[in-house]
Amino acid sequence: MIGTQRNHIDLPILVCVLILMVMSMGVVYSASSTWALEKFGESERLLTSHATKVVAGFLAIFIFMNIDYKRYRKRTKLILILAVLLLVTTLVLDSRWLRHGGFGFQPSEFAKYALVFHLCVLMSDKKEHIADFKTGFLPMMIWIVAVTSLVLLQPDFSSGAIIFVVSFLMLFIGRASFAHIGFTVGALVPVLIAYLASAEYRYRRIMDFGQRISNFVAGGGDLGAKGNYQLWQGIIGFGNGGIFGLGPGHSRQRDFFLPESYGDFVFSVVGEEYGLIGTLCILLLFVTVTLRGFRVAKHARDDFGAYLAIGITTCITLCALINAGVTVGILPTTGLPMPFVSYGGSSMLFSSIAIGVLLNISSQTDMHPRLTKAPGGTQPVELTQLPAAGNVF
Amino acid sequence: MFRSKRGSSVPSRIPAASARTSPIRIFTLKLTFLALFLVIGLRLVQIQVIEASLYQGIARKQYEAKVALPATRGNIYDSKGKILVSNSMYVSFGVDPAIVGRDAPAIARRFSRVFGKSSSEYLKKISATNKRFVWLKRRVKPDYAKKINAIEFEGLIQLNEPQRIYHYDHIAAHVIGFTDVDNNGLTGTELQFDENLRGTDGYVIMQRDGLGRKRPSVDYPRVEPINGNSIVLTIDLEYQAIAEEELRRGIEQNKAESGLVIMMDPTTGEILAMANYPPVNLDNVSGTDPSLMRNRIITDMFEPGSMFKIVTASAALEHDLVTPEQNFFAENGKYIVKLGHGKSRTINDIHEYGTITFQDAMELSSNIVMAKVSDLIGVESLYLTARNFGFGTETGLELPGEVSGELKKPNQWSGTTLNSIAYGYEVGVTPLQITLAYAAVANKGVLMRPHILKQVLNENNEIIVETRSQVIRQVISTTTAQTLTSFLVGVVERGTGVSAKVKGVSVAGKTGTSRKFVGGKYERGSYTASFAGFFPAEDPKVMCVVMLDNPRVGGYTGGVASAPIFRAIIEKVIATCARFTKKSNAAIAGKQPMAIPDVRTLRTDVAIDVLRSQGFRVKTLGDGKFIAGQSPAPPMKLSSDGLVKLTTTAADETMAGGYTVVPDVRGMTIRRAMNRLAMRQLDVEVAGSGIVVDQKPRVGQRVKIGACVSVRCQPKDLSALMVH
Repeated sequence: MIGTQRNHIDLPILVCVLILMVMSMGVVYSASSTWALEKFGESERLLTSHATKVVAGFLAIFIFMNIDYKRYRKRTKLILILAVLLLVTTLVLDSRWLRHGGFGFQPSEFAKYALVFHLCVLMSDKKEHIADFKTGFLPMMIWIVAVTSLVLLQPDFSSGAIIFVVSFLMLFIGRASFAHIGFTVGALVPVLIAYLASAEYRYRRIMDFGQRISNFVAGGGDLGAKGNYQLWQGIIGFGNGGIFGLGPGHSRQRDFFLPESYGDFVFSVVGEEYGLIGTLCILLLFVTVTLRGFRVAKHARDDFGAYLAIGITTCITLCALINAGVTVGILPTTGLPMPFVSYGGSSMLFSSIAIGVLLNISSQTDMHPRLTKAPGGTQPVELTQLPAAGNVF
Repeated sequence: MFRSKRGSSVPSRIPAASARTSPIRIFTLKLTFLALFLVIGLRLVQIQVIEASLYQGIARKQYEAKVALPATRGNIYDSKGKILVSNSMYVSFGVDPAIVGRDAPAIARRFSRVFGKSSSEYLKKISATNKRFVWLKRRVKPDYAKKINAIEFEGLIQLNEPQRIYHYDHIAAHVIGFTDVDNNGLTGTELQFDENLRGTDGYVIMQRDGLGRKRPSVDYPRVEPINGNSIVLTIDLEYQAIAEEELRRGIEQNKAESGLVIMMDPTTGEILAMANYPPVNLDNVSGTDPSLMRNRIITDMFEPGSMFKIVTASAALEHDLVTPEQNFFAENGKYIVKLGHGKSRTINDIHEYGTITFQDAMELSSNIVMAKVSDLIGVESLYLTARNFGFGTETGLELPGEVSGELKKPNQWSGTTLNSIAYGYEVGVTPLQITLAYAAVANKGVLMRPHILKQVLNENNEIIVETRSQVIRQVISTTTAQTLTSFLVGVVERGTGVSAKVKGVSVAGKTGTSRKFVGGKYERGSYTASFAGFFPAEDPKVMCVVMLDNPRVGGYTGGVASAPIFRAIIEKVIATCARFTKKSNAAIAGKQPMAIPDVRTLRTDVAIDVLRSQGFRVKTLGDGKFIAGQSPAPPMKLSSDGLVKLTTTAADETMAGGYTVVPDVRGMTIRRAMNRLAMRQLDVEVAGSGIVVDQKPRVGQRVKIGACVSVRCQPKDLSALMVH
């Protein structure tokens, strides 16, 4: 709530995210204009929709920035149960999406953050007991497996995989035993392979990727994989942009060459319109968010805040990395959006909430002390300088 | 395993361990993230800098579509400027059912509205198939393209299909030749002058989107096509039509297997007609036996028989070895030649003659006398004379597939060759070669290079190439030529060729009857019957050769089978063709009324040429580019020096909502009728099938462009096939 901010928030994170969001307006507009014109007869249709989501994102950031993250501590279990119920509902409804009127969202995105939040609570509660299998590791594993399986059953392989990976990174950071992690992963890999093989397109994607990698290793083979139309067109888009890009609004790949250019492959449109300069800028913005996120974790007031900062940062960073990696052809094709940049409401909303929470954590550290003028004096005095008490780091 | 692990993991030991490992774990994660960002960054550098030009090239290729602007293939005209072959553009529509999807009902409705059939019929075509391409409508007028507007629908494909129009069906088909579906010349003139006719396609670079839809780009120049040049042949449509008709008529009477007629101007070498029977229909060549497509006048050789005696006589007279009055003993029809080694051979005449003059021998076509004369001439001299007449070498006529014939070199001649060649055996000639030899006699001994290309016109109808008559050589002296001509006149007056006699004009000619050499021996009862002649003998204008393969009814000799066809052709030519009606044979043609050609909607200059070439006087009203009306107009007749008044109109007036004149399409096939009407921008409504027997509005009526002419057709019966 207002007033829980003891110090300033970490401005670099906010600025980076705001830049990404504003930039996304231009890119999504350009990338979607041809499609929207064709589909709806007006090129601005997706822009207006996206702008609404960006504004919602802004609001989410500013609201959650001002909610004391410690208030979630007692409620994460409830939220996670709600998320699981939503996932079950979608399973029953047989759709990845929950819709009500014009508003719809992907519960898997919600479930991801719910799980991460709850894992942070469990880890900070258990502390050293986390290394204990029965009391520490197993309860967390049950949640992880439950949420991941439900998402995979959607079926949503990309989201399931990222939830799985994020969870294990959390366990890794939470000092879970390597033996436990290793054993669990070892036990789950066959299950995952079976899952992958259960649908032909997933199997093909992986084989296709394996082929691409072996081609590449064999020397000179085309990493761009002409076999995958969308990926190939995405890479053509990057290449066509060159160093300086074709200029804002000048994408040609969006003219039905690159399918869903405004969605998961929006990074390619950035590359086409703004060139290498644009793509590196986007990467640098994400790198900044990542590094600042880790810094917030380091300075967090308590273990929960530290874990939460890491969890949020990992979620966003991983999502950005996978999206960029897929579009440049060095990862198997998955359908993950680029946070804050791709067109899509769920990702925008939950990423924004997460950033809001991260900013709140940052505001409770001593990273950016609130300076105020001493009564009658001219020297600024640090009003609150808190010891990083209880931080595991 | 977990048991032991848990046993060793005493809770009290963990904080120390975790305090040590935790920063490392975080550092590891951070480093991994940074490394991944770096890898992606490097990959971006690879794509966007190092390989950028590669992808830019690929991108450009997929954005731009080079759309060919096809050049219009040139027309083919006869020597008087009548269009033998031109083009029309048709459009066809097809769909890719896999792409059409939700548009299917809309497409079906559109087609139903435009073409009038029920939309369910089209819908059935679109949906009831698993093919990737289905025709919806084939070959309709280009106007329909706008009405259908294929670009509105995904998966609806419009194809432009240019097509050759043969304005006179099978007339001169062997000369014209045909094209494949892509308008490449395959035979005849279409092949020979393909380079000229095809022109150069232009192109326009279109911008394309991922769905393959195109729009013209303003950034690139549009390269206009250079339309093909037109070819003006020396062929005269009237001569050609007469030759074909009389050949057909003659063959129907004597039941020959096949036949051919060639006509040329002996003074210039211009080929006036080349007729082959059986005819071929260029509109439907796919089912035609390819061998029937050959223009046998140049592609086949045969043993000329008596026609070759002209060569023997030339050699003998040219070297003063004989005189026309010189007597020879014709051995009463049976001449036994001793060959040495106790062998001998017998030369026969059809009729038995005693002592006759050399001139008689030519007129009566005695093999025996010619054999005896060849002994006087000798091998070298006879060979050289034959060679000088052009035998054994290609004539160089501008049509594909010509053969050189076969004239053995003297050192290959056997003991019998000299005598055999004297009356036309042991030598292979093409009909064109024999024609040229007689033409040389007609042309005062001067051999002309034959040609069929008169002019090449560029797309603005400006002459860019014009063939000039070319002398090859003086084969024989003028005196010899005159002597030979008098022989040939005698052949027709009182010799073997009396059937070729035409009242009122002196014809010179020679018959030929040769056994066909089939499978290594001369076949009994299998003959080639020929007649070669020219007229008027005193000032030869037309050289004509008729050859029949195996006439089976009413006699097999050239004099009986071929000479009458020759006569029929000559009579018709003299009766209908302007140059004779006006000049030397006024007695026959006189000033009897002639059919007036229909010049309405022709270009003014062309119309004037056409009328003047037939002897009519012309008066034009106005100075427009096109003819709007003529008076008198067909089917009126007019004396050959009558006056035709032409009303002209400006071109654009005709084009933009102007009027046109309904042409006569009666007696035409539906297809030809449609072509003819399309040329005048008229719509057509067809009832029945076969040949057009009635049309509405009537011939010559002025109607608005785009008006509909309804034609009633009846199936082709045999008589319809015969007369055209």
